[in-house]
Amino acid sequence: MITARTISHRYNNDLALKKTSLHIAKGEFVAFTGESGSGKSTLLSILSTLLTPTEGDVFFLGKKVQEIHDIDTFRKENIGFIFQFHYLIDYLNVKENLKIADNSISDARVQTLTQKLGIEQLLEKYPNELSGGQRQRVAIVRALINKPKVVFADEPTGNLDSKNARIVFELFKQLSEEGTTIIVTTHNKQLADFADTIYEVSDGEL
Amino acid sequence: MFKNAFRTLQKSKLKTFLIYFSLTFSIASMFLISSISHGIIGMYSTMLQTDGDIIVTQKKIADTFFSDVDIKLLQSIKKIPHVSSASAMILGASPVETLPIVAVYGVTQNRFHNYKLLQGVYPQQNQALIGTSIYKQLSDKTKIQIANKTFQISGVFKSEIGFENGGIVLNIKDAGAIFHKSASILLLTTNLNANIETIIQTIKKLDDNIDVKSTNSFVKNYNQFKIIQTSSNLISFLAFVMGLISIISIMSITVAQRESEFGIMRAIGISMKKIVWSLLVEALILGLSSFVSAYLFSLVLLAIIKHTPSLQGYVNGVISLELFLWIFVSSLLMVTLGSIFPALKAAKTDPILLIQGNKS
Repeated sequence: MITARTISHRYNNDLALKKTSLHIAKGEFVAFTGESGSGKSTLLSILSTLLTPTEGDVFFLGKKVQEIHDIDTFRKENIGFIFQFHYLIDYLNVKENLKIADNSISDARVQTLTQKLGIEQLLEKYPNELSGGQRQRVAIVRALINKPKVVFADEPTGNLDSKNARIVFELFKQLSEEGTTIIVTTHNKQLADFADTIYEVSDGEL
Repeated sequence: MFKNAFRTLQKSKLKTFLIYFSLTFSIASMFLISSISHGIIGMYSTMLQTDGDIIVTQKKIADTFFSDVDIKLLQSIKKIPHVSSASAMILGASPVETLPIVAVYGVTQNRFHNYKLLQGVYPQQNQALIGTSIYKQLSDKTKIQIANKTFQISGVFKSEIGFENGGIVLNIKDAGAIFHKSASILLLTTNLNANIETIIQTIKKLDDNIDVKSTNSFVKNYNQFKIIQTSSNLISFLAFVMGLISIISIMSITVAQRESEFGIMRAIGISMKKIVWSLLVEALILGLSSFVSAYLFSLVLLAIIKHTPSLQGYVNGVISLELFLWIFVSSLLMVTLGSIFPALKAAKTDPILLIQGNKS
């Protein structure tokens, strides 16, 4: 599904990731753990096509990422993103945020996912009317709404209580069993145990 | 898309107002500068083209005000076949009462009919016919002093041409005594079937010191008009650049502040093309509303200027359809360039860097 070959990344002169290689298979649930600043988010950003590595190549669904002609459409069709901060568009309501990338998504699909995460009654509300946990659950639904082949989640439960964090990881596990590849970063070792593979990232190395 | 654009504009009311204000100011400047210069050129051209298919001036002069032509040439010109009428004018200027400069026209009697009498009669010797704009400002409505010579006011006229309406008409002999010449220019009309070029060549043979042109050709090539037009274009261009810089600056700040929004949009698969388009729609809404405001503001200001007594009606802006369309296109170009540059800069940045606020 995803292959990284000796990828490195520098922020100005700081080497955040050092010649890292790995392969992630279809349906695999992978967790990157490590301290803050260890390089796990940089690795996730590169694997998810959101950041161009300073060196090395990433192959996604067999295609070299730098050579994908329409990377935005590629992301829309294949990838779902969840970030530690919700990044909802504040002038759109929940339903509009969920349909922002693809307005043709059915209301039934929206209903199913919002029910699963307990936010079905919030569809007409705006982000500033929601609690931090509610916003994050909206962001998770947004990531899953397009039935992506791969879900990337960078500290997705950072703003959730332990009960809701567990619900999210159970959902990831279920999606993984249904064939969706899940790649997350987390500080939480217990949540990381949901994953099939756990990589410890330290000083930019696996 | 339009709904979201309006929502975004409403969200940042101060920035929206700043862009709207700077755009309106720039577009209004373009309207005012261009319309006033067009108005000046238009007024003077109309004045020359009234009863004038052909104009005779002194050779190699920079301005018609400095031209000196022998009025006796009129007799010979009138005899040329297909010349239907010929008249002479002296173009001068003088301070009058407290007014620093007033246009003075010395004209032959056959041009008097161009000045529509509102009261009194056309001037005889030692008499002056006063334009409405000037007449209103005179403290003494019976006589007027021009260059140490006193003239009785014979009447008041009205003209659609601001330069005339704010001027004084004298008998050409009286004007000649003041400005020490018999005529500044000669104007002649021809029959419909006349060959203007042949007539021009015939007139040129009458005097080596004269230049003869069709009035249309003269207006197109008149250096003063070229200077006014070039200055106006340059100042309009500067206004355009000022507006462009303003909108690029503010849109750059807007884009910078919304980087995470654009980053997340790209992460979830919204194309940069669509994001750029949404920014463009926002800018176009601002551009169009600024254009309408600037147009209305300019119309009001031009009306005020036209009726400001101290300007004597000399500053008379005209917004032609051509000028309207030209500034409309320039305004759209201004907002398009102003919004696209910052948006394209964002498009070249990796989405995660936009989301994180471009920390690298």
